Amino acid sequence: MNKTQPITLLVCALGGEGGGVLTEWLVDIARHAGYAAQSTSIPGVAQRTGATTYYIEVFPVPLAELGGRKPIFSLSPVPGALDAIISSELLETVRQIGNGMSAPQRTLVISSSSRTFTTAERMQPGDGRADATRLLDVIKSFSREHHVFDMGAAAREAGTIVSAVMLGAIAGSGLFPFPREAYETVVRGGDTSAPEKVSKMAAASLRGFAKAFDAVNGPREQAALVSRLMASTPEDTLPAHALPDSVANRFPPQLRGMLALGHARVLDYQDAAYADLYVERLQKVLEAERMSDPSAAGGFEVTHEMARWLALWMAFDDIVRVAELKSRRSRAERVRGEVKAGDDDIVKVYDHFKPGAPEFAALMPKPLARRITAWDRRRQSPWALPLQVGSHSVFGMASLRLLSSLRWLRKRGSRFAEEQALIERWLAAVVAGTRTDWALGHQIALCGRLIKGYGSTNERGKENLLHVIDHLAAAPLPDGSPAVRAQAIAAAREAALSDDAGKALDAALVRHGAPARPVKAQPIRWMKRPRAGAAAGARAGTTGV
Amino acid sequence: MEVSFSKEIEALRLKAGDTFHGEGILAITKALLQSGVSYVGGYQGAPVSHLLDVMVQAKPYMDELGVHVEACSNEASAAAMLGASIHYPLRGAVTWKSIVGTNVAADALSNLSSPGVKGGVLIVVGEDYGEGASVIQERTHAYALKSSMCLLDPRPDLGVMVNMVEHGFRLSEHSNMPCIMELRIRTCHVRGSFDCKDNQPPLVSTRALMENPAGFDYMRLAHPPVTFRHEKLKGDERLPAARRYIAENKLNEHFPGKHEGVGLIVQGGLYNALMRSLQQLGLADAFGATDIPMLVLNVAYPIVPEEVADFCVGKEGVLVVEEGQPEYIEQEIATLLRRRDIQTPLHGCDLLPAAGEYGVEVLSTGLAKFVARYLPEHSQDSAKGWLAGNQDRRAAVATQLETPLPNRPPSFCVGCPERPVFSALKLAQQDSGPVHIAADIGCHAFGTFEPFSMGHSILGYGMSLASRAGVSPMMQRRTLSIMGDGGFWHNGLLTGVQSALFNGDDAVLLIFKNGYTSATGTQDIISTPDDEVKERAVDKQQSLVDKNNTIESTLQGLGVKWLRTVHTYHVDQMRATLNEAFTSDFDGLKVIIAEGECQLERQRRMKPWIASLLKKGKRVVRVKYGVDEDVCNGDHACIRLSGCPTLTLKDNPDPLKVDPVATVIDGCVGCGLCGANAHAATLCPSFYRAEVVQNPKWHERLLHSLRGAVVRALQPA
Repeated sequence: MNKTQPITLLVCALGGEGGGVLTEWLVDIARHAGYAAQSTSIPGVAQRTGATTYYIEVFPVPLAELGGRKPIFSLSPVPGALDAIISSELLETVRQIGNGMSAPQRTLVISSSSRTFTTAERMQPGDGRADATRLLDVIKSFSREHHVFDMGAAAREAGTIVSAVMLGAIAGSGLFPFPREAYETVVRGGDTSAPEKVSKMAAASLRGFAKAFDAVNGPREQAALVSRLMASTPEDTLPAHALPDSVANRFPPQLRGMLALGHARVLDYQDAAYADLYVERLQKVLEAERMSDPSAAGGFEVTHEMARWLALWMAFDDIVRVAELKSRRSRAERVRGEVKAGDDDIVKVYDHFKPGAPEFAALMPKPLARRITAWDRRRQSPWALPLQVGSHSVFGMASLRLLSSLRWLRKRGSRFAEEQALIERWLAAVVAGTRTDWALGHQIALCGRLIKGYGSTNERGKENLLHVIDHLAAAPLPDGSPAVRAQAIAAAREAALSDDAGKALDAALVRHGAPARPVKAQPIRWMKRPRAGAAAGARAGTTGV
Repeated sequence: MEVSFSKEIEALRLKAGDTFHGEGILAITKALLQSGVSYVGGYQGAPVSHLLDVMVQAKPYMDELGVHVEACSNEASAAAMLGASIHYPLRGAVTWKSIVGTNVAADALSNLSSPGVKGGVLIVVGEDYGEGASVIQERTHAYALKSSMCLLDPRPDLGVMVNMVEHGFRLSEHSNMPCIMELRIRTCHVRGSFDCKDNQPPLVSTRALMENPAGFDYMRLAHPPVTFRHEKLKGDERLPAARRYIAENKLNEHFPGKHEGVGLIVQGGLYNALMRSLQQLGLADAFGATDIPMLVLNVAYPIVPEEVADFCVGKEGVLVVEEGQPEYIEQEIATLLRRRDIQTPLHGCDLLPAAGEYGVEVLSTGLAKFVARYLPEHSQDSAKGWLAGNQDRRAAVATQLETPLPNRPPSFCVGCPERPVFSALKLAQQDSGPVHIAADIGCHAFGTFEPFSMGHSILGYGMSLASRAGVSPMMQRRTLSIMGDGGFWHNGLLTGVQSALFNGDDAVLLIFKNGYTSATGTQDIISTPDDEVKERAVDKQQSLVDKNNTIESTLQGLGVKWLRTVHTYHVDQMRATLNEAFTSDFDGLKVIIAEGECQLERQRRMKPWIASLLKKGKRVVRVKYGVDEDVCNGDHACIRLSGCPTLTLKDNPDPLKVDPVATVIDGCVGCGLCGANAHAATLCPSFYRAEVVQNPKWHERLLHSLRGAVVRALQPA
């Protein structure tokens, strides 16, 4: 170790994670051990869940040996001159590395593998999460040595906060010339009495400390943690569902996993006949794919994706489905687990429903449904029934079961017919697309991802899908070559999943020579100015949304 | 208050021979007591909040000493408080966040500086500049110049800082000038130590009162004709007196170095960063021994011309290290060198950037140029390699990541009562169309971040209503002004409400009544629920802000006719009320009071209460919200309408689906927003509200077991 300059440590944490306590501990530990140390921070409003950092410097030679000289410490971390970075959140670790803080020849990086997603990541309609493996790669390639483990889990298991875990990791890394006892004494609050005597809180902190100490100290265990973390996605390990051979034999083996899931979903959703319809539809796609890709170079990806998205669309969500899902025993047990209820605790579960006229109209035959929706449109604001159903109560559960028993009605309902019509349009587009060009068909199939959810979300998804099909798959384009169309559709899909207002989608459409989605009239209440009579004209207007 | 300072208060009692260990701002607080301060005031704000917070919590000890502590309603009232030292031999100190606080205090500061002070006056400002700052980037320095106040900028060593506090009072008394001490963010939060002295009980204090007021003395008034005399006094007597004191007591430090041909003049506050830069360039050791002579200005204004001249004369080049713009010190030095016909080349902003914090890397880059020019024989290879390496790594990481990382700005706390209002506002604008939103300072300014991204302007603390006065007359739609109760009492009541009423403006004002100035650490204000009320409250979980109606009665007294109070968690009702305000026929000021107590304060009250109940084996109901993973549609509309940190994402457990589902993680305080939004916005039906009853009563158990049996009978697997 270089004895002529301070040991430098950058701590990255989120507001409210106890970073302040951690730095206070470290400075106290150094002081009791007889070393000069200094910490600084920039909390401010970052304390309100934002990202913040703390910085500590310790001089590696005991004060007693400095002959009265006092080291001058830096108040801010120096990029490329850090001995260690410890961070409670994966993305924040990488943020600091991106700021140039970590030097591959010098810096030890200790990071939690756990993610606290930023709002920007969470709010996207699709999947806006940063790629964790990519983040880990950055840590690997820009650190002298790295330890990555789930500090959040360690803290939870120990029943303490993450700062205690971070302290344990620092101690375990041997960054500072302090013995383990020095750390533990300070965590105990200076109380040197036997471990079993210390306060509950201190005991929990010590447990978290120990976990992290070992995780960083024992490399093997730690490596295991990393490899577990790097384990691949669940995608390639699909649970095998019973699939009738009559069905299975009609499809190539690599499709059977997804096919089984889809078939089971549709069967569970409605009935055998409906499941047969699913298989029938899927076969059309398979035929088309076999035609355009006889050598199966594409690995039947079109059919594979259709098996997924077709099943999900055919099992579209409605009140019957929701009532069924919410009334299952497995669900009640899951909730008990999620709220961490003790064995003797009573758990009351209230479900928030707000069915509107369309939800009921969906189950009515067309003429009646049309009347209901017409009535609903005439109202100033659409009608809806806010409910809090206590699914733990007899009445609540009974009503849920009653609703879920209306499956037979679903098939006769107006929405069922509408959905089938739309599915057929999409299916036709996929089949036609695949015939002309495999890639084109594949892209149209993937657009099934746009269909999700209930009410307005679901409506929006369907409108977007149809618009994309009508204008990018079929209609004439400046450059109508299948390859270009495929690209355009892919771009449009990604855009549609990036913001719910659809601005990105419209931009993508226009960029590829297709018209933007038609502006939708939405009634808004207009303010009439009591003064300035001139302006008082407009009472009700419409605006694009 | 958010934090309890019991430990720090003990540190304030330390005596001669003891060593103080702790934060810079608390060292300053202790130094005030060691200097025999009589009165302390101020307004909270990072990074100096702790100074006042500790003193407020240490009331009993302050009474022992006879020190008066005042939590002022804003910085102007704090500055005006210093008027006590114009006539009387009282040492007074006030504190606030700068630049903003100094702006608010400016009028009183001018009127204080003109007659000058008899008792020492120290204004401790948090120079909220650079990384971690939350305000516009300007320098307090300008105020010292224009009003002729001394500006202390001690190097960030607790011993030096404490010393400079004591000198500050004496300097103020010698020169009759108020002294400002500027402390940068990291300096306030630096953890170090210093050797204590005994606290000095003030000669005149709340325990040793003055018998009579001072005699009439026109010279003490900031009023013509004496103001003309005051201006002359500043130049003729006060500044020279100050310079004498600074020189005689060697407040500025001169560190010699072997390269006598060159020199560095640096603001005290930047000393540590500059020392580290010199180390990086191989021109200093870790203990402050420098190769380049250094003049450290612990007093940034006034400059002592002789000191600077003597330092510069005969040198081939001098670099002034001064943070922020304009470069006042560099300009003053240039002028004084020119006047004395000293030909030493002067550098500063030609080698260093004019804007932004001077971190070690920035300083080193500028310093390297200076050294290359005047010490060409000094090898800088390692330093150059280090600087280039930083640049390369940043580029390399950027390319490896492809897309830039999302930011993580601060946001509303879990269970914050202000979040639901922005949900309602988002929905209301779907009904009434988009509105111009005049935002303000406070936690509610987080509404400008995702997922809400609302607010057109921020003109200062409590200024939102005033800042739309020119907009609303020009717009067909009504405008909305958002203000916190903190901003309302800080000055929104007068600059906004009074003005809007007087002019009969047609405006909409929404006041967040959460009961505290929460963004600065939940300090109490006049509309904070009383402690007795909190004591008496049977249910410690409920919001208690409705128990204090000072805001409502003030508005009514002022003549507000259209006034609605809505609990923030009633999203539907808030949405309707906003729509009503935007579209109503009422011509005039419409005020909506959004009522809901700061969650931080509620938690502080609840946690011990719940713990004690559980300890006694009493019945406790814990509420948590959740999302059914198989019902969630993976569209995340709920998140776009909330942004709560505990409403986040997890992989979709359904192998058919690819998009992540919403999930509520531990830490949810069951505030109820998820449910309210699900109803108000007709979100997907995946939200459930779970009530976990701990230690239920026997009849509850019985009912539950009977009910459970029937329910299980109805349930399929």
